[in-house]
Amino acid sequence: MALPMAEYSAPDGVNKSFVPIPDDPRYLTTEGRTTGPSDHVLNAGQIDRDKPSEPKRVQGGTQMTYLGQLRTQLTGLQDDINEFLTERMELAKNKKKKADADEKRIQEEINQLLDGGDAEEEAD
Amino acid sequence: MVNLNTVAPKNNRDYYIALGLEGSANKLGVGVVKHPLLPKHANSDLSYDCEAEMLSNIRDTYVTPPGEGFLPRDTARHHRNWCVRLIKQAIAEAGLQDPALDIDVICFTRGPGMGAPLHSVVVAARTCSLLWDVPLVGVNHCIGHIEMGREITKAQNPVVLYVSGGNTQVIAYSEKRYRIFGETLDIAIGNCLDRFARTLKIPNEPSPGYNIEQLARSAPHKDALVELPYTVKGMDLSMSGILASIDSLAKDLFKGNKKNKILFDRQTGEQKVTVEDLCYSLQENLFAMLVEITERAMAHVNSNQVLIVGGVGCNVRLQEMMAQMCKDRANGQVHATDNRFCIDNGVMIAQAGLLEYRMGGIVKDFSETIVTQKFRTDEVYAAWRD
Repeated sequence: MALPMAEYSAPDGVNKSFVPIPDDPRYLTTEGRTTGPSDHVLNAGQIDRDKPSEPKRVQGGTQMTYLGQLRTQLTGLQDDINEFLTERMELAKNKKKKADADEKRIQEEINQLLDGGDAEEEAD
Repeated sequence: MVNLNTVAPKNNRDYYIALGLEGSANKLGVGVVKHPLLPKHANSDLSYDCEAEMLSNIRDTYVTPPGEGFLPRDTARHHRNWCVRLIKQAIAEAGLQDPALDIDVICFTRGPGMGAPLHSVVVAARTCSLLWDVPLVGVNHCIGHIEMGREITKAQNPVVLYVSGGNTQVIAYSEKRYRIFGETLDIAIGNCLDRFARTLKIPNEPSPGYNIEQLARSAPHKDALVELPYTVKGMDLSMSGILASIDSLAKDLFKGNKKNKILFDRQTGEQKVTVEDLCYSLQENLFAMLVEITERAMAHVNSNQVLIVGGVGCNVRLQEMMAQMCKDRANGQVHATDNRFCIDNGVMIAQAGLLEYRMGGIVKDFSETIVTQKFRTDEVYAAWRD
Protein backbone atom coordinates (compact mmCIF):
# COMPACT_ATOMS: atom_id res chain seq x y z
CA MET A 1 0.00 0.00 0.00
CA ALA A 2 1.39 3.40 -1.02
CA LEU A 3 1.85 5.79 1.88
CA PRO A 4 0.18 9.19 1.88
CA MET A 5 2.59 12.11 1.87
CA ALA A 6 2.67 15.89 2.01
CA GLU A 7 5.12 18.49 0.70
CA TYR A 8 5.73 21.96 2.12
CA SER A 9 7.62 24.73 0.37
CA ALA A 10 7.83 28.42 1.20
CA PRO A 11 9.27 31.47 -0.61
CA ASP A 12 12.03 31.71 2.02
CA GLY A 13 13.48 28.43 0.70
CA VAL A 14 12.20 26.09 3.43
CA ASN A 15 11.14 22.72 2.02
CA LYS A 16 9.91 19.73 3.96
CA SER A 17 8.37 16.36 3.16
CA PHE A 18 6.01 14.56 5.50
CA VAL A 19 5.72 10.77 5.31
CA PRO A 20 4.19 8.48 7.95
CA ILE A 21 6.30 5.73 9.53
CA PRO A 22 3.99 2.66 9.29
CA ASP A 23 4.70 0.99 12.67
CA ASP A 24 5.13 4.15 14.76
CA PRO A 25 2.19 4.39 17.27
CA ARG A 26 1.77 8.01 16.18
CA TYR A 27 0.45 6.74 12.81
CA LEU A 28 -1.72 3.94 14.24
CA THR A 29 -4.48 5.97 15.85
CA THR A 30 -7.34 8.21 14.72
CA GLU A 31 -6.99 10.36 17.86
CA GLY A 32 -4.43 12.93 16.93
CA ARG A 33 -2.32 14.90 19.39
CA THR A 34 -3.20 18.24 17.80
CA THR A 35 -6.75 17.55 16.63
CA GLY A 36 -8.56 17.23 19.96
CA PRO A 37 -10.93 19.77 21.52
CA SER A 38 -9.42 23.14 22.45
CA ASP A 39 -8.22 23.71 26.02
CA HIS A 40 -10.69 26.57 26.38
CA VAL A 41 -13.78 24.35 26.05
CA LEU A 42 -12.27 21.55 28.14
CA ASN A 43 -11.57 24.05 30.94
CA ALA A 44 -15.19 25.22 30.66
CA GLY A 45 -16.35 21.70 31.49
CA GLN A 46 -16.95 20.29 28.01
CA ILE A 47 -17.27 16.50 27.79
CA ASP A 48 -15.81 15.37 24.49
CA ARG A 49 -18.44 13.38 22.64
CA ASP A 50 -17.06 14.27 19.21
CA LYS A 51 -14.09 11.94 19.13
CA PRO A 52 -13.29 10.40 15.74
CA SER A 53 -14.42 6.80 15.34
CA GLU A 54 -11.91 3.98 15.79
CA PRO A 55 -10.18 2.76 12.60
CA LYS A 56 -12.14 -0.03 10.95
CA ARG A 57 -10.59 -3.48 11.26
CA VAL A 58 -10.89 -6.55 9.07
CA GLN A 59 -13.83 -8.62 10.30
CA GLY A 60 -12.84 -10.90 13.17
CA GLY A 61 -9.24 -9.67 13.16
CA THR A 62 -7.04 -6.93 14.54
CA GLN A 63 -5.66 -5.79 11.20
CA MET A 64 -6.98 -2.49 9.93
CA THR A 65 -8.81 -2.19 6.63
CA TYR A 66 -7.18 -0.13 3.87
CA LEU A 67 -9.31 2.93 4.67
CA GLY A 68 -8.82 2.46 8.44
CA GLN A 69 -5.06 2.42 7.92
CA LEU A 70 -5.22 5.46 5.66
CA ARG A 71 -7.19 7.36 8.33
CA THR A 72 -4.64 6.62 11.06
CA GLN A 73 -1.72 7.56 8.81
CA LEU A 74 -3.41 10.82 7.81
CA THR A 75 -4.05 11.61 11.49
CA GLY A 76 -0.32 11.26 12.25
CA LEU A 77 0.55 13.23 9.13
CA GLN A 78 -1.83 16.01 10.17
CA ASP A 79 -0.13 16.12 13.60
CA ASP A 80 3.29 16.40 11.93
CA ILE A 81 2.08 19.24 9.71
CA ASN A 82 0.36 21.06 12.58
CA GLU A 83 3.44 20.84 14.80
CA PHE A 84 5.72 21.99 11.97
CA LEU A 85 3.48 24.95 11.08
CA THR A 86 3.07 25.96 14.73
CA GLU A 87 6.86 25.99 15.07
CA ARG A 88 7.13 28.13 11.92
CA MET A 89 4.55 30.54 13.29
CA GLU A 90 6.43 30.82 16.59
CA LEU A 91 9.65 31.57 14.70
CA ALA A 92 7.90 34.21 12.58
CA LYS A 93 6.34 35.72 15.72
CA ASN A 94 9.73 35.93 17.46
CA LYS A 95 11.31 37.44 14.35
CA LYS A 96 8.59 40.07 14.21
CA LYS A 97 8.98 40.81 17.91
CA LYS A 98 12.72 41.34 17.42
CA ALA A 99 12.17 43.49 14.33
CA ASP A 100 9.58 45.61 16.22
CA ALA A 101 11.96 46.01 19.18
CA ASP A 102 14.83 47.04 16.83
CA GLU A 103 12.59 49.52 15.06
CA LYS A 104 11.46 50.97 18.40
CA ARG A 105 15.06 51.29 19.60
CA ILE A 106 16.17 53.03 16.37
CA GLN A 107 13.18 55.37 16.54
CA GLU A 108 14.02 56.25 20.15
CA GLU A 109 17.64 56.95 19.20
CA ILE A 110 16.51 59.20 16.33
CA ASN A 111 14.10 61.04 18.63
CA GLN A 112 16.83 61.52 21.20
CA LEU A 113 19.18 62.92 18.57
CA LEU A 114 16.48 65.27 17.25
CA ASP A 115 15.62 66.44 20.76
CA GLY A 116 19.31 67.08 21.37
CA GLY A 117 19.49 69.10 18.12
CA ASP A 118 16.53 71.23 19.21
CA ALA A 119 18.13 71.86 22.60
CA GLU A 120 21.42 72.99 20.95
CA GLU A 121 19.51 75.31 18.60
CA GLU A 122 17.65 76.82 21.53
CA ALA A 123 20.96 77.30 23.40
CA ASP A 124 22.36 79.22 20.40
CA MET B 1 -42.44 30.69 -16.97
CA VAL B 2 -39.50 28.38 -16.25
CA ASN B 3 -38.73 24.79 -17.16
CA LEU B 4 -37.80 22.90 -14.00
CA ASN B 5 -37.27 19.79 -16.09
CA THR B 6 -34.37 21.29 -18.06
CA VAL B 7 -32.05 18.50 -16.85
CA ALA B 8 -33.44 14.95 -16.99
CA PRO B 9 -33.12 12.67 -13.94
CA LYS B 10 -30.31 10.10 -13.85
CA ASN B 11 -30.70 6.72 -15.59
CA ASN B 12 -34.03 7.66 -17.24
CA ARG B 13 -35.82 7.60 -13.89
CA ASP B 14 -38.96 9.60 -13.25
CA TYR B 15 -37.59 11.28 -10.15
CA TYR B 16 -34.59 13.23 -8.89
CA ILE B 17 -32.64 12.54 -5.68
CA ALA B 18 -30.45 15.12 -3.96
CA LEU B 19 -28.15 14.77 -0.97
CA GLY B 20 -27.81 17.98 1.07
CA LEU B 21 -25.00 18.80 3.49
CA GLU B 22 -25.28 21.73 5.90
CA GLY B 23 -22.65 22.89 8.40
CA SER B 24 -22.44 26.68 8.41
CA ALA B 25 -22.77 26.98 12.21
CA ASN B 26 -23.05 24.53 15.12
CA LYS B 27 -25.56 22.20 13.44
CA LEU B 28 -24.41 19.50 11.09
CA GLY B 29 -27.27 18.38 8.87
CA VAL B 30 -27.50 15.72 6.19
CA GLY B 31 -30.72 15.22 4.24
CA VAL B 32 -32.03 13.40 1.20
CA VAL B 33 -34.81 14.89 -0.94
CA LYS B 34 -36.75 13.34 -3.79
CA HIS B 35 -38.59 15.31 -6.50
CA PRO B 36 -40.89 13.51 -8.94
CA LEU B 37 -40.47 14.45 -12.60
CA LEU B 38 -43.83 16.01 -13.50
CA PRO B 39 -45.00 17.53 -16.79
CA LYS B 40 -46.57 20.46 -14.90
CA HIS B 41 -43.07 21.69 -14.00
CA ALA B 42 -41.98 21.99 -17.65
CA ASN B 43 -43.50 25.42 -18.22
CA SER B 44 -44.74 27.03 -15.05
CA ASP B 45 -43.78 28.95 -11.91
CA LEU B 46 -44.21 26.09 -9.46
CA SER B 47 -40.87 26.03 -7.67
CA TYR B 48 -42.81 26.21 -4.37
CA ASP B 49 -44.71 23.04 -5.20
CA CYS B 50 -42.20 20.38 -6.25
CA GLU B 51 -44.11 17.65 -4.38
CA ALA B 52 -40.84 17.05 -2.57
CA GLU B 53 -40.45 14.00 -0.37
CA MET B 54 -38.00 14.19 2.53
CA LEU B 55 -36.42 10.74 2.58
CA SER B 56 -34.15 11.54 5.52
CA ASN B 57 -33.26 14.55 7.63
CA ILE B 58 -30.49 13.83 10.15
CA ARG B 59 -28.95 16.48 12.37
CA ASP B 60 -26.34 16.60 15.09
CA THR B 61 -25.66 19.76 17.09
CA TYR B 62 -22.36 20.79 18.63
CA VAL B 63 -23.38 21.81 22.16
CA THR B 64 -21.11 23.74 24.53
CA PRO B 65 -21.37 24.07 28.33
CA PRO B 66 -23.64 26.82 29.80
CA GLY B 67 -22.12 30.29 29.45
CA GLU B 68 -20.02 29.32 26.43
CA GLY B 69 -20.47 29.98 22.72
CA PHE B 70 -19.23 27.71 19.96
CA LEU B 71 -15.72 28.32 18.66
CA PRO B 72 -14.96 27.79 14.95
CA ARG B 73 -12.11 25.30 15.60
CA ASP B 74 -14.16 23.01 17.86
CA THR B 75 -17.29 23.30 15.71
CA ALA B 76 -15.25 22.33 12.64
CA ARG B 77 -13.87 19.34 14.57
CA HIS B 78 -17.40 18.24 15.49
CA HIS B 79 -18.49 18.41 11.83
CA ARG B 80 -15.34 16.64 10.63
CA ASN B 81 -15.77 13.76 13.04
CA TRP B 82 -19.51 13.30 12.55
CA CYS B 83 -19.96 14.04 8.85
CA VAL B 84 -19.27 10.54 7.48
CA ARG B 85 -21.39 8.88 10.19
CA LEU B 86 -24.32 11.18 9.43
CA ILE B 87 -24.04 10.73 5.66
CA LYS B 88 -24.11 6.93 6.12
CA GLN B 89 -27.13 7.23 8.43
CA ALA B 90 -29.00 9.55 6.05
CA ILE B 91 -28.37 7.30 3.05
CA ALA B 92 -29.50 4.21 4.99
CA GLU B 93 -32.64 5.96 6.27
CA ALA B 94 -33.48 7.15 2.76
CA GLY B 95 -33.23 3.54 1.55
CA LEU B 96 -30.63 4.30 -1.13
CA GLN B 97 -28.85 1.12 -2.24
CA ASP B 98 -26.02 2.60 -4.26
CA PRO B 99 -25.35 6.34 -3.86
CA ALA B 100 -23.37 6.43 -7.12
CA LEU B 101 -26.44 5.26 -9.03
CA ASP B 102 -29.19 6.78 -6.93
CA ILE B 103 -28.05 10.35 -6.24
CA ASP B 104 -28.44 12.97 -8.98
CA VAL B 105 -26.67 15.80 -7.19
CA ILE B 106 -24.78 16.56 -3.96
CA CYS B 107 -25.62 19.98 -2.53
CA PHE B 108 -23.49 21.72 0.09
CA THR B 109 -23.62 25.07 1.89
CA ARG B 110 -21.19 27.45 0.22
CA GLY B 111 -21.93 30.29 2.67
CA PRO B 112 -22.60 32.48 4.54
CA GLY B 113 -21.42 31.06 7.85
CA MET B 114 -18.36 30.26 9.93
CA GLY B 115 -15.37 29.49 7.71
CA ALA B 116 -13.90 26.48 9.50
CA PRO B 117 -17.16 24.47 9.88
CA LEU B 118 -18.14 25.27 6.27
CA HIS B 119 -14.77 23.96 5.19
CA SER B 120 -15.17 20.67 7.08
CA VAL B 121 -18.42 19.96 5.25
CA VAL B 122 -17.32 20.97 1.77
CA VAL B 123 -14.36 18.57 2.01
CA ALA B 124 -16.85 15.75 2.67
CA ALA B 125 -19.02 16.93 -0.25
CA ARG B 126 -16.07 17.02 -2.66
CA THR B 127 -14.94 13.56 -1.52
CA CYS B 128 -18.39 12.05 -2.06
CA SER B 129 -18.61 13.75 -5.45
CA LEU B 130 -15.32 12.19 -6.58
CA LEU B 131 -16.09 8.81 -4.98
CA TRP B 132 -19.50 8.44 -6.60
CA ASP B 133 -18.97 10.63 -9.68
CA VAL B 134 -21.97 12.79 -8.80
CA PRO B 135 -22.08 16.55 -9.62
CA LEU B 136 -22.00 19.23 -6.93
CA VAL B 137 -24.10 22.35 -6.39
CA GLY B 138 -23.07 25.07 -3.92
CA VAL B 139 -26.04 26.58 -2.08
CA ASN B 140 -26.54 29.91 -0.34
CA HIS B 141 -27.67 29.04 3.20
CA CYS B 142 -30.37 31.75 3.29
CA ILE B 143 -31.81 30.60 -0.05
CA GLY B 144 -31.93 27.09 1.42
CA HIS B 145 -34.13 28.35 4.26
CA ILE B 146 -36.42 30.27 1.88
CA GLU B 147 -36.93 27.42 -0.59
CA MET B 148 -37.53 24.90 2.18
CA GLY B 149 -40.10 27.22 3.77
CA ARG B 150 -41.86 27.76 0.42
CA GLU B 151 -42.00 24.03 -0.31
CA ILE B 152 -43.31 23.08 3.13
CA THR B 153 -45.87 25.87 3.51
CA LYS B 154 -46.71 26.29 -0.23
CA ALA B 155 -46.46 30.04 0.21
CA GLN B 156 -46.27 31.26 -3.37
CA ASN B 157 -44.65 34.66 -3.11
CA PRO B 158 -44.33 35.71 0.53
CA VAL B 159 -42.35 38.41 2.26
CA VAL B 160 -39.71 36.36 4.06
CA LEU B 161 -38.52 37.08 7.56
CA TYR B 162 -35.25 35.25 8.00
CA VAL B 163 -34.27 35.14 11.66
CA SER B 164 -31.43 32.99 12.97
CA GLY B 165 -28.25 33.02 15.02
CA GLY B 166 -26.25 34.65 12.24
CA ASN B 167 -28.84 36.46 10.12
CA THR B 168 -31.76 38.85 10.45
CA GLN B 169 -33.25 39.91 7.13
CA VAL B 170 -36.59 40.89 5.60
CA ILE B 171 -36.59 39.61 2.04
CA ALA B 172 -38.93 39.82 -0.96
CA TYR B 173 -38.53 38.27 -4.40
CA SER B 174 -38.29 40.44 -7.49
CA GLU B 175 -36.76 39.96 -10.93
CA LYS B 176 -34.92 36.66 -10.37
CA ARG B 177 -33.42 37.64 -7.04
CA TYR B 178 -34.40 37.57 -3.39
CA ARG B 179 -34.00 41.25 -2.49
CA ILE B 180 -33.12 42.34 1.03
CA PHE B 181 -35.59 45.01 2.17
CA GLY B 182 -34.30 45.39 5.69
CA GLU B 183 -31.73 43.78 7.92
CA THR B 184 -29.80 44.10 11.14
CA LEU B 185 -27.19 46.81 11.28
CA ASP B 186 -25.11 44.93 13.84
CA ILE B 187 -25.80 41.55 15.51
CA ALA B 188 -28.38 38.95 14.46
CA ILE B 189 -31.45 38.31 16.63
CA GLY B 190 -30.40 34.75 17.48
CA ASN B 191 -26.98 36.00 18.46
CA CYS B 192 -28.60 38.59 20.75
CA LEU B 193 -30.70 35.88 22.44
CA ASP B 194 -27.79 33.43 22.67
CA ARG B 195 -25.49 35.99 24.23
CA PHE B 196 -28.10 36.92 26.80
CA ALA B 197 -28.48 33.21 27.58
CA ARG B 198 -24.72 33.11 28.17
CA THR B 199 -25.02 36.01 30.62
CA LEU B 200 -27.77 34.10 32.44
CA LYS B 201 -25.66 30.92 32.23
CA ILE B 202 -28.66 28.88 31.16
CA PRO B 203 -28.06 25.59 29.26
CA ASN B 204 -27.31 25.57 25.52
CA GLU B 205 -29.40 22.42 25.13
CA PRO B 206 -31.67 22.06 23.19
CA SER B 207 -30.89 25.66 22.25
CA PRO B 208 -30.32 28.87 24.21
CA GLY B 209 -33.16 30.66 22.38
CA TYR B 210 -35.63 27.90 23.23
CA ASN B 211 -34.68 28.12 26.91
CA ILE B 212 -35.20 31.90 26.90
CA GLU B 213 -38.61 31.35 25.29
CA GLN B 214 -39.58 28.93 28.08
CA LEU B 215 -38.41 31.35 30.79
CA ALA B 216 -40.32 34.21 29.11
CA ARG B 217 -43.52 32.15 29.18
CA SER B 218 -43.38 31.90 32.95
CA ALA B 219 -42.68 35.63 33.52
CA PRO B 220 -44.76 36.78 36.52
CA HIS B 221 -45.01 40.48 35.53
CA LYS B 222 -46.04 40.40 31.88
CA ASP B 223 -48.09 43.56 32.34
CA ALA B 224 -45.01 45.64 33.25
CA LEU B 225 -42.47 45.53 30.43
CA VAL B 226 -38.92 46.52 31.24
CA GLU B 227 -38.05 49.44 28.99
CA LEU B 228 -35.30 48.65 26.47
CA PRO B 229 -33.87 50.74 23.60
CA TYR B 230 -36.26 49.86 20.74
CA THR B 231 -34.14 50.62 17.66
CA VAL B 232 -35.68 50.58 14.19
CA LYS B 233 -33.96 52.72 11.57
CA GLY B 234 -36.06 52.87 8.41
CA MET B 235 -36.24 49.27 7.21
CA ASP B 236 -33.27 48.19 9.32
CA LEU B 237 -32.89 47.43 12.99
CA SER B 238 -30.16 47.37 15.60
CA MET B 239 -29.93 44.98 18.54
CA SER B 240 -26.52 45.55 20.13
CA GLY B 241 -27.83 48.41 22.31
CA ILE B 242 -30.68 46.25 23.58
CA LEU B 243 -28.24 43.45 24.43
CA ALA B 244 -25.91 45.81 26.32
CA SER B 245 -28.89 47.22 28.22
CA ILE B 246 -30.45 43.88 29.21
CA ASP B 247 -27.02 42.43 30.05
CA SER B 248 -26.36 45.28 32.43
CA LEU B 249 -29.78 44.80 34.06
CA ALA B 250 -29.17 41.07 34.50
CA LYS B 251 -25.77 41.71 36.09
CA ASP B 252 -27.33 44.24 38.51
CA LEU B 253 -30.02 41.70 39.35
CA PHE B 254 -27.47 38.98 40.13
CA LYS B 255 -25.38 41.39 42.21
CA GLY B 256 -28.50 42.59 44.06
CA ASN B 257 -27.71 46.21 43.20
CA LYS B 258 -30.57 47.96 45.05
CA LYS B 259 -29.61 51.33 43.55
CA ASN B 260 -31.08 50.13 40.27
CA LYS B 261 -34.59 51.59 40.34
CA ILE B 262 -35.80 49.50 37.39
CA LEU B 263 -35.14 46.28 39.27
CA PHE B 264 -35.76 47.19 42.90
CA ASP B 265 -38.43 49.28 44.61
CA ARG B 266 -37.13 52.74 45.58
CA GLN B 267 -38.71 52.72 49.05
CA THR B 268 -38.83 49.10 50.18
CA GLY B 269 -35.85 47.71 48.21
CA GLU B 270 -38.07 44.83 47.15
CA GLN B 271 -37.24 43.08 43.85
CA LYS B 272 -39.71 44.11 41.10
CA VAL B 273 -38.27 42.21 38.13
CA THR B 274 -37.25 38.56 37.75
CA VAL B 275 -34.95 36.83 35.24
CA GLU B 276 -38.11 35.54 33.54
CA ASP B 277 -39.38 39.12 33.22
CA LEU B 278 -36.14 40.15 31.57
CA CYS B 279 -36.45 37.28 29.07
CA TYR B 280 -40.06 38.27 28.36
CA SER B 281 -39.24 41.96 27.87
CA LEU B 282 -36.29 41.14 25.63
CA GLN B 283 -38.42 38.92 23.40
CA GLU B 284 -41.31 41.39 23.24
CA ASN B 285 -39.00 44.25 22.34
CA LEU B 286 -37.03 42.38 19.67
CA PHE B 287 -40.07 40.74 18.09
CA ALA B 288 -42.01 44.03 17.96
CA MET B 289 -39.15 45.50 15.95
CA LEU B 290 -39.24 42.56 13.55
CA VAL B 291 -43.00 42.82 13.14
CA GLU B 292 -42.72 46.54 12.39
CA ILE B 293 -40.19 46.17 9.56
CA THR B 294 -41.95 43.10 8.15
CA GLU B 295 -45.24 44.98 7.98
CA ARG B 296 -43.55 47.85 6.20
CA ALA B 297 -42.01 45.45 3.65
CA MET B 298 -45.47 43.90 3.08
CA ALA B 299 -46.86 47.34 2.37
CA HIS B 300 -44.01 48.08 -0.06
CA VAL B 301 -44.55 44.95 -2.17
CA ASN B 302 -48.30 44.81 -1.62
CA SER B 303 -48.17 41.30 -0.18
CA ASN B 304 -50.33 39.70 2.48
CA GLN B 305 -48.18 36.61 3.16
CA VAL B 306 -45.27 36.31 5.56
CA LEU B 307 -42.98 33.33 5.70
CA ILE B 308 -40.83 33.05 8.83
CA VAL B 309 -37.68 30.97 8.39
CA GLY B 310 -34.51 30.37 10.40
CA GLY B 311 -33.93 28.97 13.88
CA VAL B 312 -35.64 31.86 15.72
CA GLY B 313 -38.67 31.29 13.46
CA CYS B 314 -39.60 28.33 15.72
CA ASN B 315 -40.38 30.78 18.52
CA VAL B 316 -44.11 30.53 19.13
CA ARG B 317 -44.34 34.05 20.55
CA LEU B 318 -42.80 35.52 17.39
CA GLN B 319 -45.30 33.55 15.30
CA GLU B 320 -48.17 34.84 17.49
CA MET B 321 -47.10 38.46 17.19
CA MET B 322 -46.65 38.16 13.43
CA ALA B 323 -50.08 36.48 13.14
CA GLN B 324 -51.65 39.36 15.07
CA MET B 325 -50.17 41.88 12.66
CA CYS B 326 -51.29 39.85 9.64
CA LYS B 327 -54.78 39.51 11.08
CA ASP B 328 -55.03 43.27 11.15
CA ARG B 329 -54.15 43.39 7.45
CA ALA B 330 -56.73 42.12 4.92
CA ASN B 331 -56.55 38.32 4.59
CA GLY B 332 -53.02 38.22 5.89
CA GLN B 333 -51.36 34.86 6.46
CA VAL B 334 -48.30 33.78 8.40
CA HIS B 335 -46.42 30.72 7.26
CA ALA B 336 -43.89 29.01 9.48
CA THR B 337 -42.40 25.55 9.80
CA ASP B 338 -41.57 23.40 12.79
CA ASN B 339 -38.07 22.80 14.12
CA ARG B 340 -37.33 19.97 11.64
CA PHE B 341 -37.21 22.52 8.84
CA CYS B 342 -36.78 25.86 10.66
CA ILE B 343 -33.51 25.02 12.38
CA ASP B 344 -30.53 24.51 10.04
CA ASN B 345 -30.81 21.16 8.29
CA GLY B 346 -29.57 19.18 5.31
CA VAL B 347 -32.85 18.85 3.41
CA MET B 348 -33.17 22.60 2.92
CA ILE B 349 -29.78 22.63 1.20
CA ALA B 350 -30.84 19.62 -0.89
CA GLN B 351 -34.13 21.36 -1.82
CA ALA B 352 -32.52 24.63 -2.98
CA GLY B 353 -29.62 22.80 -4.63
CA LEU B 354 -31.95 20.45 -6.50
CA LEU B 355 -33.94 23.40 -7.87
CA GLU B 356 -30.72 24.88 -9.20
CA TYR B 357 -29.60 21.49 -10.57
CA ARG B 358 -32.90 21.01 -12.41
CA MET B 359 -32.26 24.35 -14.14
CA GLY B 360 -28.83 23.14 -15.27
CA GLY B 361 -26.68 24.83 -12.64
CA ILE B 362 -23.82 22.60 -11.47
CA VAL B 363 -20.25 23.13 -10.31
CA LYS B 364 -17.96 22.77 -13.33
CA ASP B 365 -14.67 23.11 -11.50
CA PHE B 366 -13.67 22.52 -7.86
CA SER B 367 -12.47 26.13 -7.67
CA GLU B 368 -16.19 27.04 -7.62
CA THR B 369 -16.65 25.04 -4.42
CA ILE B 370 -14.54 27.35 -2.27
CA VAL B 371 -16.71 28.28 0.71
CA THR B 372 -17.23 31.87 1.75
CA GLN B 373 -18.17 33.47 5.06
CA LYS B 374 -19.86 36.41 3.32
CA PHE B 375 -22.49 35.48 0.75
CA ARG B 376 -25.48 37.78 0.55
CA THR B 377 -28.93 36.48 -0.32
CA ASP B 378 -29.30 38.87 -3.28
CA GLU B 379 -26.09 37.61 -4.91
CA VAL B 380 -27.91 34.45 -6.02
CA TYR B 381 -29.62 34.37 -9.44
CA ALA B 382 -32.83 32.41 -8.79
CA ALA B 383 -33.11 30.73 -12.21
CA TRP B 384 -35.93 28.46 -10.95
CA ARG B 385 -38.32 31.38 -10.36
CA ASP B 386 -40.27 33.37 -12.93
